[in-house]
Amino acid sequence: MSFVEFRFLWFFLLLFIVYWTMRDNTARKVWLLLCSYVFYAAWNWRFTLLLLGSTTVDYIVGRMLARCKSRGSRRLWIATSVCANLGVLGFFKYFNFFVSSGSEFLAWLGLPTSVSTLNIILPVGISFYTFHSMSYTIDVYRGRQRAISNFVDLALFISFFPPLVAGPIVRAVNFLPQLVSARKFSDVDVRGAVILFLAGFIKKACIADAVAPIVDRYFAQPANFTAMSAWIGVLFYAIQIYCDFSGYTDMAIAAARLLGYQLSINFQFPYFAQNVSDFWRRWHISLSSWLRDYLYIPLGGNRGPRWFVYRNIMITMLLGGLWHGAAWTFVLWGALHGTALLIHREWTRLTNGLEWARRATRWLAWPITVYLVCVAWIFFRAHDLSRAATILKQFVLFRGGGSEHLHRWMLLVIVALAFVHWLNSRRWFAQPWRSWPAPIFAAAYGCTAALVLLFVPPHYTPFIYFQF
Amino acid sequence: MTVPTRQQSLRWQLINSGIGLSAFLLTCMGLHAILPFPAIDGGVSQKLRFFAVHKDEFDTLFIGSSRVYFQISPAIFDRVMREEGIPTRSFNFGIGGMYLPESAYVLEQLLNTKPRNLKWVFIEYDELQTKWAFENQTSRRALYWADWKRTSLLLRKLTDVGIDAVWLPSPKKLRDIILCRKGEANTYQQLIFHTAQFEKNFANIARAADILDYFWGRDIGKWDPNYLGAAGDGYIPKKGGMSASQAAAYERALGLAMGTKPPVASISPYTVEAYRQCAQKVRATGAEPIFLVTPSATQFDIAYRDNNARPPGAVMAFNNPRAYPNLYRSSARRDQQHLTKSGGEEFTRMMAVNFAQFIQAGEVK
Repeated sequence: MSFVEFRFLWFFLLLFIVYWTMRDNTARKVWLLLCSYVFYAAWNWRFTLLLLGSTTVDYIVGRMLARCKSRGSRRLWIATSVCANLGVLGFFKYFNFFVSSGSEFLAWLGLPTSVSTLNIILPVGISFYTFHSMSYTIDVYRGRQRAISNFVDLALFISFFPPLVAGPIVRAVNFLPQLVSARKFSDVDVRGAVILFLAGFIKKACIADAVAPIVDRYFAQPANFTAMSAWIGVLFYAIQIYCDFSGYTDMAIAAARLLGYQLSINFQFPYFAQNVSDFWRRWHISLSSWLRDYLYIPLGGNRGPRWFVYRNIMITMLLGGLWHGAAWTFVLWGALHGTALLIHREWTRLTNGLEWARRATRWLAWPITVYLVCVAWIFFRAHDLSRAATILKQFVLFRGGGSEHLHRWMLLVIVALAFVHWLNSRRWFAQPWRSWPAPIFAAAYGCTAALVLLFVPPHYTPFIYFQF
Repeated sequence: MTVPTRQQSLRWQLINSGIGLSAFLLTCMGLHAILPFPAIDGGVSQKLRFFAVHKDEFDTLFIGSSRVYFQISPAIFDRVMREEGIPTRSFNFGIGGMYLPESAYVLEQLLNTKPRNLKWVFIEYDELQTKWAFENQTSRRALYWADWKRTSLLLRKLTDVGIDAVWLPSPKKLRDIILCRKGEANTYQQLIFHTAQFEKNFANIARAADILDYFWGRDIGKWDPNYLGAAGDGYIPKKGGMSASQAAAYERALGLAMGTKPPVASISPYTVEAYRQCAQKVRATGAEPIFLVTPSATQFDIAYRDNNARPPGAVMAFNNPRAYPNLYRSSARRDQQHLTKSGGEEFTRMMAVNFAQFIQAGEVK
């Protein structure tokens, strides 16, 4: 069940009505927990057991961390949580990748092996709820979060359905305090939430799903297309992944808000970033901040000599890439971003005090950043390294390719979407509807929703980040 | 300023929600009424457009799947009928893969053009299809016909609630559907699929493309001979037949099927109800429906699940290898469902002769 399906509308309507009818906070939380598991079970009910198991392990670890005083015991328990969570993630997501990569490496060394991979189904959202879960135990270990005695609270935090399958990654320190007292409907910005939901729906269902077939067509056989088509294909993919992911996040945040809970913003107009560092402060903010707090800083962060800091950055970005998928293309994507971050750091260091250099190159900052991000997307999307290399040659060198082409009017579509996106960043669409009388707003919303559905393609394209 | 009470706030919230919902529903219905007919591939739009222009030229219509499309020649039918003293001018509205309920919807669109001279409509007679191949489920072809009239029959059949006004599902059936027991493994998925299709159809999903096509004049093949056939009568004969090994396997299977317990075409009361609605619509235009069972090698004869439910018109059944051996020879067949070009021509001749006898015997007006 995804947010753009009609059955989610019925599911949420029932959940919403029953939830706000209840007065007791515990009853509401139990109801939400039940609905969250039903939501997850709609994908595959068997994996709810995995979710429950992961929650139980971390609940026990949290309780033991609160009870144990010795450093050694506490380290043992946090290691248990991290190993259990990463072990599950590693098995379901990376087992076949490591087995086949290891086999290829041994074959390259002249030691052929006969290995078989397993037919493993990847549980939807495992990368997300594993990170939710680890944020709890690590924060308890660090003393930033009190261990929860109420199993329902912890289970709800980990399985809360809006961010469960594709983010944003929720932190225990941000979410658990919201479960303490009952939410008040009078505090809910209903208008803002439903507008946000509609905006997310438009991004995902009308834009991302509409450009998906064009992107699929190009990336399936890039060698058949012209270099200009490479630009169209890659730019459309940049649009698709942003609209797909940020659209889903908007809907998740809106759904949570309608239930009285606040989730953190996950995107802040990333394609207007002035450099790669800025890009990572705007793109998938919940992931980049999670990696910063739970990987980069424990590795040493910015403390230490330059080579040490750069090592930490590269490890974080490589693992960040690998988190997205079990393929070398994702690792390469992470490596590209890591390299770009290092280059930006060096540039900042070298031009420190050289205002003339910074001023002279300021106008180049944005186009270069967008260009580098698009180049990196090639590896993120390509089926394999060979096709990525073909696309790279077309995109960067304007060479190679075939005679098949994507229509040039698609460039106009890209420009139009970029313009609308720019208007949105200037908050042109943000406020006018807030002052309308409620019945007018309701009628306008209903009509707009009906008109928006005209532009939804008939085919259903799963959220890109579901595969992570 | 007085602060509204919780009850007053709740009342206003409900009223506003009702306003929003009403606006949504009314907009959907309004758009549905004014949007141009969607561009549907596979020959549907092409043949509809052709028929809309030439509707008064025909007095006989054949509608059904590929078993009609590739097997009934209007030219041969008209010639034999003329020889029998009943001249006709017919059109083949067969479409590959078009079964009930899609065929019922398309028939309604054809009859909505108000053809003035239509006398007879041959409707392929087969069980209501609930399954859609996974790869076709997201196509527009699976969506355009999913109005409430069609969807309600599908949902009724899947839950077996009967055709009365009140839907009364059996608890055991519901239990089996939810738990996927006793052959109901796919019923739950089909229920979700068809319900979603109706919702998408009602909400005009993907119809913006039709608006753009309408204004840009994108032509998806107005008089495309590929769909209308060389003679422009909607019939396309299919070349080829069975190989020697295929023929041998077919003969063996046919022999076995005609043995102790021949497979029977089972017609549910939901199918009869769907055809009753078709017949009503056909008669309202002044024509007469004839239900046609093509010579399928997988189902012989017809059996009705509900003995009280009978077809609302004359039935011409050719699915009997003993009665029509020429249509079941391996040389006349491409596969178990379809005939070769010569097999189709023989079938058309038999149809025309039988039909003429039906008229002379008063079974059809």
